[in-house]
Amino acid sequence: MDIQLKRGLLDVCVLSAIKSEDSYGYKIIKDIKPHVEISESTLYPILRRLEVANLLTVRTAEHNGRLRKYYRITKLGLKRIEDFKLEWQEIVSIYNFVNRGEESE
Amino acid sequence: MNKQQFLNALEVKLCGLPSEDAQKTLDFYAEMIDDRIDDGLSEEDAVAAIGNIHDISNEILKDIPMPKLVKQAAKNSRALSAWEIVLLILGSPIWLSLIIAAIAVVLSVYVVLWSVIISLYAVFFSLAVCGIAGVFVFPVFAFMGNTVQGVFLIGCGLVCVGLAILMFMVSNLATKGILWLSRKIWFLIKRCFAKRRGGNEKV
Repeated sequence: MDIQLKRGLLDVCVLSAIKSEDSYGYKIIKDIKPHVEISESTLYPILRRLEVANLLTVRTAEHNGRLRKYYRITKLGLKRIEDFKLEWQEIVSIYNFVNRGEESE
Repeated sequence: MNKQQFLNALEVKLCGLPSEDAQKTLDFYAEMIDDRIDDGLSEEDAVAAIGNIHDISNEILKDIPMPKLVKQAAKNSRALSAWEIVLLILGSPIWLSLIIAAIAVVLSVYVVLWSVIISLYAVFFSLAVCGIAGVFVFPVFAFMGNTVQGVFLIGCGLVCVGLAILMFMVSNLATKGILWLSRKIWFLIKRCFAKRRGGNEKV
């Protein structure tokens, strides 16, 4: 898949993984992995980028006697997911246009 | 490799980054390893699952803007002693001109590379114009009664168009190559800045 496209998709995947409840790094990876290939070294820059862009916030909480970072989606993050869904409808309509020849055959 | 060895190795790789970024990164990977161990993996397996340290540090370096790295390198260079400053000032006619010359050489090599690209496109353009002109000039020759020359010109024109198409492909490839090279060099410069501070820290 095109790198730029995959990058944008992964951003939305990560946001969607923390949409319903706060989550932490390893859980995000476990949730996304069945759908898209993602590793720690990919996730880390994404989380940083999303935090800088104010799409998520980070808080540190204790777990099993050590610290763990939990990520919470912001209003902007939720909007990003909604924007993605709208964009995707456009992409689907483009796909249908590109694919129209094959279907009629 | 156990968790501590992994974190130490990563810390060495990150020592050129602003310390806040380096610490955040180390915390993140430490948490990842711990979570995998909680999940039932052995410490060795958990570390192995995280991936290659070189890739990790490269990913992070790509994300940090150049000005931040330069600032960090400047902030972390140690204070100079009086005689070092005197030497620096006395030597400035030599090292300053050498640095300027070095920068000028690098810049001119870069400009030359781009001029090659521009000239490749110029060749493509002129071939295309010649080709089209060669084909369209035929009616004029035919009108003047020089049909044979006209047909010859059409042939020349078609050859030019063919060459132009080839030239266009070559120019495009060369442009892509140079863009790729530019990105690589930019990344290497970034790594130099990240490394410099690493060297100073050991002093």
